[in-house]
Amino acid sequence: MSNTKLNKSIDDIDPLLFDFASYDESRAERAGYSNYSYWQSTFQVFLKNKVAAALLILIIVLVTYTVLQPYLPNQKSPTKIYNNPVTGIQLRNHAPDKEFLFGTNSIGQDLWSRIWSGTRTSLEIGMLVGIWQGLIGITVGCLWGYVRKLDGIITEIYNVLDNIPNTIIMVLLAYILRPSIFTLVFAMCITNWLSMARFVRNQIIIIRDREYNLASRCLGTPIGRIITKNLLPYLVSVIMLQLALAIPMAIGAEVFLTYIGLGLPLNTPSLGNLINEGRVIMMSPSLRYQLIFPAVVLSVITISFYVIGNTFADASDPRNHV
Amino acid sequence: MKKVIALMLTVALSMSVLAGCKDSAPKDKKTDVKQEYSTVYSEELTTLNYLVTASENEFAVAANLVDCLVEHDKYGVVKPSLATDWSVSSDGLVWTFNLRKGVKWVDAAGKEYAEVQAQDFVDGMNYVLDKKNNSETANLAYSVLKDAEKFYKGEVTDFTQVGVKAKSPYVLEYTLKAPTPYFLSMLTYVCFMPVNGKFLAETGDKFGTDNKTLLYNGAYLLQTYEPQNSRVLVANDKYWDKTNVFIKKLTYTYNKEAATLSPELFTRGEITDATIPTASIDEWMNDPTKKETVRPIATTFYTFFYAFNFNPKFDVKYQPENWKAAVNNLNFRKSLFNALDKTAAMTTAEPYEPARRLSNTITPKNFIDIKGVDYTALGSLAKTSSTSSFDATKAKDFKTKAMEELKGKVTFPVKVVMPYNTSSSDWTNRAQVIEQQMETLLGKDFIDIIILPYPPTGFLNATRRAGNYSFMECNWGPDYADPQTYTDPFTSESNYSWISLATDYKEANGKGKYENMVNAAKAEILDTSKRYKLFADAEQFLIDQAFVIPYSLGGGGFIASKLDPFTSPYSPFGVSSSKFKGQKIMDKAMNTATYKKGFDAWQKARSEALKVAANKK
Amino acid sequence: MLIAYISGLCDDLIVFYKDKWGWQQLLKYSLKRLVKSMVTLFIVISVVFLFMRLMPEEGYFGQGYEKLDLVQREAILTNLGLRDPWFVQLGHFYKDLFHGDLGTSITYRPKVAVAEIIESKIFYSLYFGLAALVIALIAGISMGILMARSKNKFWDKLGNGYIVFISAVPAAVYYLFLQLYVTDIFNLPILFNKSNPVSFILPALSMALGPTAGYAMWMRRYMVDELNKDYIKLARAKGLSNKVIMRKHVLRNAFVPMAQYLPASILYTLVGSIYIESLYSIPGTGGLLVDTIQRQDNPIVQALVLIYASVGIISLFLGDMLMASFDPRINLDKQGGIR
Repeated sequence: MSNTKLNKSIDDIDPLLFDFASYDESRAERAGYSNYSYWQSTFQVFLKNKVAAALLILIIVLVTYTVLQPYLPNQKSPTKIYNNPVTGIQLRNHAPDKEFLFGTNSIGQDLWSRIWSGTRTSLEIGMLVGIWQGLIGITVGCLWGYVRKLDGIITEIYNVLDNIPNTIIMVLLAYILRPSIFTLVFAMCITNWLSMARFVRNQIIIIRDREYNLASRCLGTPIGRIITKNLLPYLVSVIMLQLALAIPMAIGAEVFLTYIGLGLPLNTPSLGNLINEGRVIMMSPSLRYQLIFPAVVLSVITISFYVIGNTFADASDPRNHV
Repeated sequence: MKKVIALMLTVALSMSVLAGCKDSAPKDKKTDVKQEYSTVYSEELTTLNYLVTASENEFAVAANLVDCLVEHDKYGVVKPSLATDWSVSSDGLVWTFNLRKGVKWVDAAGKEYAEVQAQDFVDGMNYVLDKKNNSETANLAYSVLKDAEKFYKGEVTDFTQVGVKAKSPYVLEYTLKAPTPYFLSMLTYVCFMPVNGKFLAETGDKFGTDNKTLLYNGAYLLQTYEPQNSRVLVANDKYWDKTNVFIKKLTYTYNKEAATLSPELFTRGEITDATIPTASIDEWMNDPTKKETVRPIATTFYTFFYAFNFNPKFDVKYQPENWKAAVNNLNFRKSLFNALDKTAAMTTAEPYEPARRLSNTITPKNFIDIKGVDYTALGSLAKTSSTSSFDATKAKDFKTKAMEELKGKVTFPVKVVMPYNTSSSDWTNRAQVIEQQMETLLGKDFIDIIILPYPPTGFLNATRRAGNYSFMECNWGPDYADPQTYTDPFTSESNYSWISLATDYKEANGKGKYENMVNAAKAEILDTSKRYKLFADAEQFLIDQAFVIPYSLGGGGFIASKLDPFTSPYSPFGVSSSKFKGQKIMDKAMNTATYKKGFDAWQKARSEALKVAANKK
Repeated sequence: MLIAYISGLCDDLIVFYKDKWGWQQLLKYSLKRLVKSMVTLFIVISVVFLFMRLMPEEGYFGQGYEKLDLVQREAILTNLGLRDPWFVQLGHFYKDLFHGDLGTSITYRPKVAVAEIIESKIFYSLYFGLAALVIALIAGISMGILMARSKNKFWDKLGNGYIVFISAVPAAVYYLFLQLYVTDIFNLPILFNKSNPVSFILPALSMALGPTAGYAMWMRRYMVDELNKDYIKLARAKGLSNKVIMRKHVLRNAFVPMAQYLPASILYTLVGSIYIESLYSIPGTGGLLVDTIQRQDNPIVQALVLIYASVGIISLFLGDMLMASFDPRINLDKQGGIR
């Protein structure tokens, strides 16, 4: 704070700089207005993070490419075996070259198309399972956590279903329905929604007796509205994170199932069985490309979803909006 | 800072390793190689009770712990073991064995328990034939012994009526249902092993559940047994033939990932041998140092073949009736027979020299012989066994003929259902290769192969045994030294491919021609040459009429091993090949060239030895 | 700091039990849950039992099935008790259970008591599981705190990188990678050997890598959420130092949702990690369930399901208790809430 006196006085100000304000009745009636839109702000904050934005674009491009790839010219079929025209023997384990962009596997199939086909299959499985998990998991979790009468019953159902080992269900389903994409999706759907439900239930238990909920109950707000307007928005950030990770986790579960022998058969390539195939030859430098390519694709997908999920979760917290 | 520590650690460790190397350089290579064997395995044993198990894994362990009446030497010649000599009655029904005196049963600590006597063999057989003991090899025993099946089923309750008796402490007598010339070869099977009756009664249900509830009279005892962890066998000091046991200690470490890790463990010198998985074999062959440490593994006597199903019972959408009509046409079968490129299919599992595992006959080469002439070289079988079935021109020829003959009766393309087991990545790959290869050769207008994945749970019941296939890879292993064993899958009682339902082969007595040929051969008991020739003719008929496509043998692959393979006891069935008695460890692994030379020398010596043995009889 | 925090927690627990609920109410609630648990266990075992009976018969025989004839097969199945009607078999199981007998294995290791088989393996899985859990908790939570504190700065980015890497690369791949390359560089033994103490390290460390990333990620998320809340802004305005805010307010509240899973993590260590145990030859219970299901050894499967189900139920209960103890606003019982 300076102590010098300012030598300014009102008389020195130029009156021409000022305009007399008029009184407008209609404008006086206007109440507070804000053009704040929750989702718009969320996206704005999200896009501010350059890395996340870039990865989002990458994922969109990746998904579009996997869908379009079979229709592009010069693409090979993922299951066709390529033979040496002279000897008739398969073109085994060719390193990547002009003809086979990612090389061939041990029976002469083109890895490039196998990886894209596999990504397509894995993403399909992941999305179906993720969406199902989200819908059923959140619904059941909310009801479970909020409605006390249901808490007892659903806890018991949860205990029963959770404690039946998934492996038995998988082995039985594989035996009865035979290995296929449908069997895998079906089996993963009926076993995976439990953890999402429990997670949501835990979150809801934490906030269900907070004052604002008590207030809503006093006002007579119906349960559905309390859940959708009071509880869920509070949990948006954590739920978003779970959903974003659902896809990589589904792919990870698929890798595990393939490891214990319950996954898709090799003639339907998927990231899970491509990685398992490649894992055995990790120690052979000349064949390592068979592991690296699918692992890289899987890593890119997981990293993207993780970063997108985290950033979106951060962005969807209203306190982070400007 | 951390980097410096890591660097120092590495330097210190490598120096100690190098120092160790220098000290242990052997002066006299031959005698200083430590005769201790170690390896990793991924299939754990379920039981040590050799009288009930039917698992190859468990046979291999039992072979080293308990001896049989006879054994085989490294050329596959039958030699006395617990029996010193034997004789057959003139009607071929009674076999008498004189036992070796002074052989002792010892426990896991090496302490003597009792002497091995004839009663032990009777007690063993009693246990096997007692239904409540759940022996999975009982049927092998009761297929030959008098009244054994009746005892098993409960129709006879007095065991003394069954055809095994201890005439005196050292004389054992077997009485057979019918003269069985190959009976001697069956005696090396686990169901004929002895057991000490008193010990068995003492341990009761716990017999064979761990190493302390077992007695040993073989070359080794089981010193440590920790399932899913490790087991250690040590040479039996009280063994009657202990001068022939060179390897003193066998250490097995369990690891589920043994297939992936064992090549690395071998390179680091921690184990004596490691099978190289098909996926890594390229890597090893391309590296000059590693290449010198691998050699091919011999093929086994397990035979693989592709069967045509005459009793299709699969889903209507695959048109089973259509398949049935097509498969009964000889030209149709022959076109498929000649169209299968076996080398291409084999390359998926055996990329180096696939030809050595291929077989053109159901009965493998070197299985049995008549006075030095191999079975597969008898009569009309000789030409078949030396010609490859793959012939593209012939295949297309037969295709044209078949399409003409079947016009109007069969809709083309014929749907061919080919199931496979998803737990085997080899088989999955092979199924894809075969589908594309045969469809490309014969054209999609002729056949449409549909490969169906099935999980390993209940695989055979869901596919082959239920008739749920058109064309499928099947396998079979021998039980005794006679060509009859390889005809079992094709009898009318078996559930392989129902050849007896083929429409064109019925003869006057209502049975199929193949079946009549086989029955005639089975009836020929006295003249072994004639018997073998009749079987050979039957097999030739089977292949010629394209009922099956013989494909390959089991085994094969490559191994990096310091064991000398030509010192091991050898036999196509029974447990002799798994014995470690007589085996030696070399100072370094054998390479392919040495192996091939050794194999040729061994084959020559073997046929000599077999001739000598045949002339002695 | 962590020690002070933990002792603070213990104080809370004691206060919780004394003030909030009173022994009587706690006992009543526990009894109710206990009775419900028994019913649950009964249902679970029966369902698993039925599922296992749906598996094909040939699975009980192993390799020799091809050569067995019908008489033999029937004899073996009858002897194993598999031909009795299902309620008879279930009855046998419960009768044995009341005598403390978990049954005898039928295909995995025939005639050996199930209790003996499981006993010999559980210690190994527990040891490695607990070691990995302790490492992961300490490392993960510390990392999460560090990341939340330096949000969007260096440590946060580094931590994020680690979490992303561990989540992206499949566990099966990096476990094998570590096993082969780390043992090569440091000349450690590849396989676990109980007489060699050095071989205990790498499996425990590898097992801890994944959970560390998990704990770090969730801790960071919960803490960031807390840090955004208004009462923190007030605390800062009041002039409280960052350290005090972290310790007294943020950590405590952020830990609440994680507390739910803590008892489960501890108890589930006895399940074992199937990957690690396969790779390092650790004779634990990791692959036991999968193996016995595939081999159709019904007694072992039922015993394992019984054990794991009990563990699951107990840990859900303990988790709820723990969570309620941290946050006084949470009320588990019917009273206190209106619906």
